Order: sequence, then C-alpha cells, then structure tokens
Amino acid sequence: MKKNVWGVLITAAMMASLTAGCASNSSTNEVKTTAAADSKTKEAGTEAATEAAKGKEDMTVYMVAKGFQSQYWQAVYKGAQKAAGELGVHLEFQGPDSESDIAQQVQMMNNAVQMKPAAIGLAALDVSALNDSIKSSQDAKIPIIGFDSGVPDAPKGAVVANAATDNYKAGEVAAENTYPLIKDLIAKSSKSVRIGVLNQDATSESIISRGLGFIDKITELIKADGKTVCITGNDKFVTDAKTDKGNSADVILDVAVPSKVEASLMTTDAQTILNKEDTICIFASNQKTGEGLITGDENLGRLGKDVIGVAFDSGTMIKDAIKSGKLAGAVTQAPVEIGYQTVKLAVAAAKGESVADVDTGSQWYNKDNMDSSEISQNLYD
Amino acid sequence: MEKLKNNPLIKAIGTQRLVALLALIVIYLAFGIMNPRFATYNTMVNIFDASYYIGFMAIGICFVIATGGIDLSIGTVLTMSGLVAGYLSVNMGFPIWLVIIICILIGTAFGVINGLLVAKMGLPPFIATLGTMMLSKGIGSIITGAQSVTWKSGSDPEGWYRAIFKIKTESGLLIPTGFLFLIAAAIVMAVVMNKTKAGRYILSLGSNKEATRLSGVNVDKYLIIAYIISGTFAGIAGLAYSTIYSTLLPGGGAGFEMDAIAGVVIGGTSMSGGIGTIAGTMIGVFIISVLKTGLPFVGLQTHYQQVATGLVIIVAVFADVYRNRRKS
Repeated sequence: MKKNVWGVLITAAMMASLTAGCASNSSTNEVKTTAAADSKTKEAGTEAATEAAKGKEDMTVYMVAKGFQSQYWQAVYKGAQKAAGELGVHLEFQGPDSESDIAQQVQMMNNAVQMKPAAIGLAALDVSALNDSIKSSQDAKIPIIGFDSGVPDAPKGAVVANAATDNYKAGEVAAENTYPLIKDLIAKSSKSVRIGVLNQDATSESIISRGLGFIDKITELIKADGKTVCITGNDKFVTDAKTDKGNSADVILDVAVPSKVEASLMTTDAQTILNKEDTICIFASNQKTGEGLITGDENLGRLGKDVIGVAFDSGTMIKDAIKSGKLAGAVTQAPVEIGYQTVKLAVAAAKGESVADVDTGSQWYNKDNMDSSEISQNLYD
Repeated sequence: MEKLKNNPLIKAIGTQRLVALLALIVIYLAFGIMNPRFATYNTMVNIFDASYYIGFMAIGICFVIATGGIDLSIGTVLTMSGLVAGYLSVNMGFPIWLVIIICILIGTAFGVINGLLVAKMGLPPFIATLGTMMLSKGIGSIITGAQSVTWKSGSDPEGWYRAIFKIKTESGLLIPTGFLFLIAAAIVMAVVMNKTKAGRYILSLGSNKEATRLSGVNVDKYLIIAYIISGTFAGIAGLAYSTIYSTLLPGGGAGFEMDAIAGVVIGGTSMSGGIGTIAGTMIGVFIISVLKTGLPFVGLQTHYQQVATGLVIIVAVFADVYRNRRKS
C-alpha cells in the first residue's frame, strides 16, 4: 500500500515537472509569436505611412464612416471610389466595427488627422466625443466634409460643407407617405391607437433627426384632422419631440430604443410594440430596426394585416417584405450619391475652392415603384 | 468519488432546482397577470426564440464552470461562427448543410484553442478566454470585411434550415421545433455530465483538481474536453441566433456569454467548480428568457430590464449561498 502511494507520488512529481517544462517551453513560444506579430504590425505601419506619403503627392482623402457593416456604407464607398477614380485622388475609407463604437471612431478620426490628408470626410457617431479631434484637424488646416448625417453642431468653421441626406426631411417624407395609409384607421377608431417608432439608438444625429422628423410631421398631420397626439417611451425622443408628453390621447406615439445595437434587442423592441393591441402602425428608422421589425413579426404575423409597417433604407429583407406586402413602403436615401459628392466636395475644399452643402435627397418607395430605375439605383441587397 | 456523492452541496441542488422552477412559474404568472397579452401562445414562442442561443451557450459553459473555470469567449464565438458561416452561404454560395457544419465546427475550434491554452499552457481560464474573445471578435470582422451578414430567408430554396428552430404552417401555426432540439440537447448533456466517465471526471477535477490528478486521471484531457463542449455549443448557439434573428453584426456578441453564465448560476451550478446541473441551467435560462421577453410587457425600458435581471441573479445566488451556509 505504502509503495503504491510512493509510486503515485513519484509519477505525479515526474508528470508535474514534465508539464512544468512543457509550460515554460510553450510560454517562450508564445513570446516569440507575439514578437513576430509586433514586427508585422510595424511593417504594416510603415507600409501605410509610405503609402500615405506617396498619396500626398497627388492627394489623399480620408473618409471616416459610422460603420462598415451594412450594405448602406458599401454603397457610399462605391460612390466615393467612383469620384476618387474620376478626380485621380487616393481614397482611404474607414469605419468602426459597430455603430455603437464611439471610442473607436474617435481613434480613427485622430489617426486620420495624424496622416495629414488633403481633406477628411466624416460621418459622426457622436459629435461631442469627436470635438477634440475636429479641433485638431482644424488646427492642422485639414478641411472636413460632413457626410451621411454629417457633423452637426461642430465647432464653427471646421466643417466646410456637407454631403448628406436631410434626415429630418427624410423622416417627414416617411410620415407624409405613412399618414394616408392610417388616416381612416385613426378617424374610425373609437379607442386610442398607437404608432410605434423604432430607433437603433438615441445618440447619432441621423437617427434622432429621422425619428423626430417622422414624429413631428405625423403629429402635425394628425392634429390637422382634429385628433389629439401624445408621445411616450425613450426619454431623449420624448424630450426633443414637439409632441405633448403623456400616455393618453387619440393617438399615442411609442418610441423604442435598444440598450445596445444587437439584432436580438431590436427584435424584442419590435415585438413589444407589436404585442400592444392598439398598435396600428410602426416606423423603423433605419435598416437594422427595419429588419428587427420583420423578424419580430414572424411569430405575431400582424404586419400587412392590422399593422402598417414602414421602414428606412433597403437590403434583401426589407425589399422582400415590401414585395410581399408585409411592409407598406420605405424611404431610401441616395448612398452612392452621398459618397460621390463627399469626395467631390473634399477635393474642391482641398484646392481652396468655395464649397456649399449638398442635399443628396430621399425618396419614398413601395411595391409599385421600387423597380423603376430612379429608385432601384439606390436600393441594395 | 463516494464522498463527493454524499457532499451536502450536491444534495442541496435538488432544492435549488425546485426553488428556481417555482421562481420561473411565479415570474411567468406575474407577467401574465400584469399584461394578459403576455400569456399567449405566440409570446411563448417568443420566449422560446430568445432562449435557444442562451440555452445552448449555457449547456456548454456549464461544463467549463463545473471545472472551476470560465469561458468568456462564447458570446463572440457565437457571433463569429454565425458571421463566417452566413458569409460563406450568402457571398460564397456554400450549400446550407455544409454551412451549418462549419458554423458548429468554428465553435469547436475555439473550444480546442481555449482548452489547450488552459490545460496545456497553464493560462488562467479568465485570461485565456478573454484573449480568444477578442480574437474571435476580430477574426469575424476580418473575414466578412466588417460587414453585417443576413442569413438566407425562409422563402429562399436553401431556407429549409429555419425549420430546425421553427416551423410555420400554412395556416400560420408556429411549431417551436428548436425547443425540442434544446431539450434533447440538455437531456443528452445531462447524461454526459452525470453518467459518463468524462462528466464525472470533469466534476471531480472541478471539486479538487490535485486529488483528481493524483488518483491517476488525465486531468488535462478532461479539462480540454470541457472547453471543447463549451465551444461546440457556442457554435450551435451561433446557428440558433442566426436562424432566429437573421442578421449578425461584426463586433457584436460580447455580453451574450453573461446571459448564459447568469442562467447557469441561477440554476445552481457553483462558480467554484465541482457542481454542475444541466436541468437547473435550463430553468435558469428560461428565467432569463422570460425576463427578457416579459419586462417590456410591463412597460420597462431596456435599461430597467438590465437592472431587474441583475437583481434576480444576485437574489438567486444569495438565496443559495445563505441556505448552504445555514446547513453547514
């Protein structure tokens, strides 16, 4: 018995020393790999530097987008590439991993300023977070062109021009086209009815403007027909909307915003509003909330039956839903045009020419006009 | 081994499970009373939908937690496998059956890496999986060019895979097939944990690693197996999430693992290892899913939901700790 114990102990000790040896070996290996990785990054760094230096001889334009994720940004990129090709400038297009990565975008903007390009295009996720980088860009005399939602409330003179959708107006376009679809429902209903507004966040200016444009316009239209309207839900929207706050009126506007940009959370938001019996209409203010709305309705099946769904932008899911009648329609921006105009403005500003804002526009589309060339060039999969 | 069976902690799991189950029923009924629309069949399907990805992650990580370790990478591995597999399907035209296998195998691969880092290289599980969490997040973005991926819809000829988790009949009736799938997986893994050599060794090494090693068990092997189970189930969870929510966002998924860990802990699995209950975990997962689906019904915004879920976790675990303290 005792012998056995000793045997086990000795084996264990041997094993332990073996593993210890193994462990130290592998840790040195690891150090080596990290060192290798480090040198790789450095190489990449110098490459980028030389590339930028080369580009400087011609002209380099940086574009810092809000993301890279959705096909929307890819369409912007396409337009920007087209303009860069035409004007013969070097284009660097960047965007954070997700549209909630404010810190990452600040980092990208700082890096862009360090590279001293001829001009920078910027679609700000959070303007106040970017304030310092915008100022340093201004100090370095690099003109900034706002695009997409632009850089509202930027320090004076920093942003020389914008190539952007007027998002407030785009929200109004959605409301103007939605109202005729729900007008009779509101007029006929003896009880109060609910209109849901799904927003991806309450920090980015484009989302806030779109949401508010829709809310303010639909309120105005409903009031013009002699009905009362109130607003409830997300604090930011409730505070900023012109609509009266409260929980009881002929029409209740119900604003939802998820705590994080994640498909599951946006689906839950949509389901929450779809689950309220008095809901007659839901407006989703961007592509991802639109997709959340469609997914959320899968189990409930109310869209296209007793709830009118309206979305924003496009993508396969939204286009299919409009074709099948689940969504009544959507508003599309002109992403290709946004990218194109941004680079054009950037080059003009870098050459010292005078530049002015360009509204790249937005259009309502539905099952009937979505195949027309005027609309379809702005729709993407 | 005999001593382990008579451990008062293990005996107590029975009551913990019972309490958790009662809590689940009470929470469900409370939401139902506060808003009658909550107690509908369609909402039940919503709860199931929300439970699949958390449930699969929780089954897997339960094994790792039972070893006394932790796997922080499962949330981002979920997103990465969904992203990469979806990308292969939509952008590269891979057939969907192959994509499903790849989706799960990506999870397995990360399980192997985690297991090797922890068992062979001796990294603390928290650090090792923190590393692979960032790795998986980054690699997913790199492979897809940092673009979101939307899996093929049900109307697509290749959309049959959606029936794994949900069937919608012509008349609009919903059959939550994923629930059966989840429960079957839970039963199989409960048997693995309690009746097989691998499961017993995993529990045993979680209870006392040195003693297990000294009794001649290849501890490293079973430690690696635990992480492989966790990774593989993260891959399955990726499939579930992609099927239910369609869209995957690069850089997303961080934080999902916390829902799974919460489910495991509420179910009565000890964070210090040696105890693991799959049945309890399932109850915990459904408590989380009912809260996620139910809190908006009573008019609470997302931020308040997080507060409520946090409180439930603290109360559930405290109740367990308090009871055990009184017993001993």
